[in-house]
Amino acid sequence: MEYPKLLFAAISLSLLVCFSYGQRDVEPNQDVYTIEGRIFPPDTGIPPSWYSQTRILANGGEYIAILRKDNSFVFNHVPTGSYVIEVVNPTYSYEPVRVEINSKGKLRARKLNYIQTSTVDPVAYPLALTPLARIRYFQIREQWRATDFLYSPMVLMMVLPLVIIMILPKVMNDPETRKEMEHLNSLTRYDMPEMSEVLASFFTGGEKQKSKAVRKKKAQ
Amino acid sequence: MMARHLNLFIFMPQVFIILFSIFTVSQCLYEDQVGKFDWHQSFIGKLKFAFGDASGKRAIVATELNVVAALSLKTGNILWRHILEKDPQTNILFLSPTSSGEALVVTGGPKPLVRAFDPINGALAWEWTLPSTFPFDRILWAVSTEKLYALSLNEGEDFVVQQFNIRTGSQTSKWKTIVPWVHKSKCVPSRDLLICHSGKTLHTIRFSQKDAKPYPVELGQPIAQIESVKSGEKAGVFVDLSNLESGPSSQVVLFSDQGQTSVKCKPLSSPARWVFFDSVGESNIILQMVQRDEKLSIVTSDCISGNKIEESTGGVKYPADLGPPHVESVVCGSNHDMASCRLLINSPDQAITLVQYSGKVLWSREEALAQISAVEMMDLPVSDKDAAIEKEFDSKEAGVLGMFGRRLVSQALQAQHLLQTVFGLHDPIQPAGQRADLVRDDFGLHKMIVVATKAGKLFGLDNLNGEIIWQKALVNVDTRSMQLFIQRTTRHGPFPAQCLLLLKDKISKESILYTFNPITGEGSRRSLGYRVLQAMPLPVVDEESLRPILFLDSSEKVHIEPQSAISLVDPLASNTYMYVADPVTGVMTGYTLAQSTSERLVASRVWEVVFQPETQTIQSVVGKSPQERVHSQGRVLGDRSVLYKYVNPNLVAVVTQGTDTVHKYVLNVYLLDVVSGAIVFSISHKRAREPIHLVHTENWVVYTYFSEKWRRTEIAAIELYEGKTQSNSGTFSSLIAPVQPMVERQSYILPAMVQSMSPTITEKGITSRHILVGLANGAVLEVPWIFLDPRRPVTVTPEMREEGIIPYMPELPIPTESVINYNKTLPQISGIHTAPSGLESTSLVLVYGLDLFYTRVAPSKTFDLLKEDFDPFLISMVLIGLGLASYTTKRLASRKALKQAWK
Repeated sequence: MEYPKLLFAAISLSLLVCFSYGQRDVEPNQDVYTIEGRIFPPDTGIPPSWYSQTRILANGGEYIAILRKDNSFVFNHVPTGSYVIEVVNPTYSYEPVRVEINSKGKLRARKLNYIQTSTVDPVAYPLALTPLARIRYFQIREQWRATDFLYSPMVLMMVLPLVIIMILPKVMNDPETRKEMEHLNSLTRYDMPEMSEVLASFFTGGEKQKSKAVRKKKAQ
Repeated sequence: MMARHLNLFIFMPQVFIILFSIFTVSQCLYEDQVGKFDWHQSFIGKLKFAFGDASGKRAIVATELNVVAALSLKTGNILWRHILEKDPQTNILFLSPTSSGEALVVTGGPKPLVRAFDPINGALAWEWTLPSTFPFDRILWAVSTEKLYALSLNEGEDFVVQQFNIRTGSQTSKWKTIVPWVHKSKCVPSRDLLICHSGKTLHTIRFSQKDAKPYPVELGQPIAQIESVKSGEKAGVFVDLSNLESGPSSQVVLFSDQGQTSVKCKPLSSPARWVFFDSVGESNIILQMVQRDEKLSIVTSDCISGNKIEESTGGVKYPADLGPPHVESVVCGSNHDMASCRLLINSPDQAITLVQYSGKVLWSREEALAQISAVEMMDLPVSDKDAAIEKEFDSKEAGVLGMFGRRLVSQALQAQHLLQTVFGLHDPIQPAGQRADLVRDDFGLHKMIVVATKAGKLFGLDNLNGEIIWQKALVNVDTRSMQLFIQRTTRHGPFPAQCLLLLKDKISKESILYTFNPITGEGSRRSLGYRVLQAMPLPVVDEESLRPILFLDSSEKVHIEPQSAISLVDPLASNTYMYVADPVTGVMTGYTLAQSTSERLVASRVWEVVFQPETQTIQSVVGKSPQERVHSQGRVLGDRSVLYKYVNPNLVAVVTQGTDTVHKYVLNVYLLDVVSGAIVFSISHKRAREPIHLVHTENWVVYTYFSEKWRRTEIAAIELYEGKTQSNSGTFSSLIAPVQPMVERQSYILPAMVQSMSPTITEKGITSRHILVGLANGAVLEVPWIFLDPRRPVTVTPEMREEGIIPYMPELPIPTESVINYNKTLPQISGIHTAPSGLESTSLVLVYGLDLFYTRVAPSKTFDLLKEDFDPFLISMVLIGLGLASYTTKRLASRKALKQAWK
């Protein structure tokens, strides 16, 4: 469907929309706390860009912690509230954790559950995060296999005629099988009436019946 | 009956595609396809601070976008990069090397921090907090021997020095010095000295010492500005002198450790920003960057005598109207040889250039691309050969013979071209000013990406590799609101393509038009003399194939660009409507042009919708993309009936965020018909707040918000249907008895934070649509619409299964295979631009933010392309083989038959 040409309205607009994190939650005399933890690097060793590519985000970047050389991290200036701590690394995945700071400054870490948000499944604090797995971004290409090659239509097209050409004449040359074949042929010949004959008899028969019926009607 | 049959026929491809996409779940990349049709460029933003580290191999930089990074001085590539908090109040206040080599960064705002980074791998060396009550706007920072100094300046009275241990952050001492000449704007720290200017005098004081003595230096001329010396072992300042009689001049003054003047160089005619110390001969050499007709050259002169020693022969190309460049840092090797010194230059168009002392440019980075505000993808012009063929059909008045002659000529040309390509003899003659490879390809995949940035710089990028084809810096412009329009595409024969950029003048705030050719970047700038509230391209083109654009100015007058197109508007005027949304007053106003005459366009108000600013503020207004096509008018249900889509091109989605005493945050979404002003649908979410991102296409709206109640991101989908009957299959009218649509809606949990969202778009709209979601962790996720479908039921009936609906699941999966940017993390995504390609299956995607990432996606797989592993060679070989085999067997069989006959 194409858009109507007669009625239309401007789609573009000159609006300034700003999303700001900063204005929210910031009260000057609020107590602030720190969230601490450490990350265990993958067992295979520390990759070269490990320190610059590993970022620790609280609430998707509202607070950012940077990894130290000893793989520990600290979030500073965090007011009371609930924070989702996630480790972002392009190669390894880590499980996110929810950390809650109550009004008295007590910290509690628990497993992140977005569906049942009230379930408490405690996690050790200070956080100790271990890599879950290497992230798989790519589909694995199908491997070349001999069976795939053999069953491909191209190869079948080459092989089947070959079989028919090379093997069938040899089979036919064998006198016993020839006899058998002839026997089979004769069987089929006797059992199976000619298709055209069947059809012809069927139609002619039908016509006869029809004409009979007509005659009957006429007689009445 | 017939009509319905036809409809079903039309829907079949769509249904097939949908089914196909369920079974394959989502498309993913093979590992060997990396970089095949995608590219990634990383940026850091406008340079704010920089220094060269001790090794002379890298420069550590801090930028306006809160990025700390290390750049390789050899290539200009990013060695490591840390993106600090993106908060409008947080900014990097200070960057300095410490005595042990780390890069020390001070950030202000509500979360003030001092961080030190390892210069080699970017690991955090230490971090400590500053009290948030610090008066950051009055503080000058300095580092000296394992101490960080915060000099808090009280204008014209005194300054307070706070000394911190650089590693732990403990305050070691604090004192106050009473000096009447301190002003934040007139003081700079240099090494251990605080240097200020007042009138014709320079004052220096050693701030790292408690009871230091100030020293004044008389210069004899009024001082306009001072800047600290960046190279060498001595403290010093570059002074810009303003003299009314002899014009501006500059001088370099160097100081000893205690603050006494050690060297006062001879005043120079142009400003100097670089000084080199010859440690052997104890002389100082001043190097200046001099701008002469579009070129920057480096002039070397002796400090004391002022005699010119050398002038670089090369020179850097530099536009004359751009404003002076700024030497951000000077990096010299460890051997103190002037020849090994390099200058890191920051120009007002946000380009970073590394220039050698001899004037040779080593590398250049276009950091303006880190802040893109408008993007368009343009088709490239056809090649000369194709243009010649097209020309054949241009003039119709030529007789039969003439046409035949032209036909023969073009055929001959084609034959010649074919022979040339076959024998590898390609003629190198190409149109002037255009690159040979910048021509349209068969599938329309090669395009020009036209980009307008917040720095006021325009770029033309090649979409195949991201190379900058052209660039143009606009000066004195306010780039907060920018709109890019395509007035003419490349398809219109002898006329070149034309784009129009609407922006504002920096001083007068009146709108400016920059009209340019998107392929070459050449254009002209024109001031409109009024402030544009709303701009709208018309659906018609004039005799030069130029699309006129209507402008509504702040006094509700209507203008048209180009002015000659006013006659085109006349027949359309009665059906032309415009709307304006004001986020401050919360008023949306609709205008009609019905009262226009053929000489003058008049906009008169028809409707007004008020979103009370006391209770809610307009966050965003999202219309449908004008490029979009909706191919199928409905959806075939399991019982073979058709549910017709409510496709209203005049529908816009308005998102408002309100505050409530009970629910704290309330999010409202209104679907508004902007022709009639009727609210078609509205929905309100309690305790839902920003970030809100909305996508509006076809008959559906998808938006994400953060649910305060459940503390998670939710994604909601609204779908509109007319019902089982269609009111009008031809054109949609907002005015003739608009039907109230059926609304289906559903929301899902998205286990991530969203930064940007955009739908894929294809040329004819046959391909199913996916939604590209830019996440805070740097991934761009391709979500098939079928996952967001509001008709996903909790219990699936067989009928629904036949329709291809998957059962409802509260949480949407984030499979890593459907991350289109794989391991190339994209920080701070600000937008995703999608454009159709010449292939119906393929949509081109540019993700922008701090980084640029381009790729292409095929939401329904590449059904119109042969597979990559399709091998025409193998197939032809098999065919030839089969043909040969059949021929030989025929011969063999006939021979055998002959032999048998002879037996």
